[in-house]
Amino acid sequence: MAIGILLALLGGTFVCLQNIFNANVKKKVSVWATTALVLLLGFAASLAAGLAFEGTALFKFQAEPWFWFSGIIGVGVVACVTQGVQNLGPSAAISLVMVSQIFFGLMWDTLGWFGLEQVPFTWQSLAALVLIGSGALLFQLGPKPEPMSADSSERVQANRA
Amino acid sequence: MKGILFALAGGFFLTFQSVANAAISNGIGTWQAATMTQFTGFVLALAIVLALKDRSYRNLPQVPPLYASGGMLAAIVLFSNMTAVHRMGVTLTIGLFLIAQLITAVVIDTKGWLDMPKKNIGRSQILGVALMIAGVIVLKW
Repeated sequence: MAIGILLALLGGTFVCLQNIFNANVKKKVSVWATTALVLLLGFAASLAAGLAFEGTALFKFQAEPWFWFSGIIGVGVVACVTQGVQNLGPSAAISLVMVSQIFFGLMWDTLGWFGLEQVPFTWQSLAALVLIGSGALLFQLGPKPEPMSADSSERVQANRA
Repeated sequence: MKGILFALAGGFFLTFQSVANAAISNGIGTWQAATMTQFTGFVLALAIVLALKDRSYRNLPQVPPLYASGGMLAAIVLFSNMTAVHRMGVTLTIGLFLIAQLITAVVIDTKGWLDMPKKNIGRSQILGVALMIAGVIVLKW
């Protein structure tokens, strides 16, 4: 449990760093070209790590056919999040993405699809979902103090309009 | 309305991705799963770039190498995500991922690191993270 908690906190930190790095790439390069680059480097790094830890045993596996289509999910993420941000602005879109993530997480734990261990639904977990979701909404949509960058003041005006 | 549906679908896909990755790593191993999902995603993204006749990659030399290499962080993210989902389930993993993500964003924003515009942090942001931490504690109590 402790290892899982530490790994999840480490992973989340790196998600944030990666989002920032990618945002800096997107200043010059389109969303899809950025996505292709990010996935290519992710592939290279995973391959290198896999070879380092497992040697050529990395290539000895029996994949089910659907495993080869898993990349479609990542493309779905980029397409939907990009559209959401364009239509709603970053703060509102990201808060909804987070609420939706935690909602579907609880749904998946409860249903135990895809051979995951089923985690029985409790009212306690629903309360946790509400707390985590409303925390994410408050974080993204709550008032932010001055001074604001040109970019975020534009956003506020767009929200008012 | 359209934007709301896209954002909700984006969250669904993110969770689906965690679950699918964990399931694939159950089947063939964690590094195999990370390598395979990144590879197939790359092939598809490349196909989209080609289909759109997108030439913006030519600007890539203008991007600082540190930022351009951000994709490599995925190896750490995927390994942590798959291992955490196996050990604790999806809800708790996502809750902790989101908390770490937001706290890191707060630190970077208030310092103005990594070419991010410097922003101050408000009470609502602190309260927001506190609510999320309370949520994770309630989840595991």
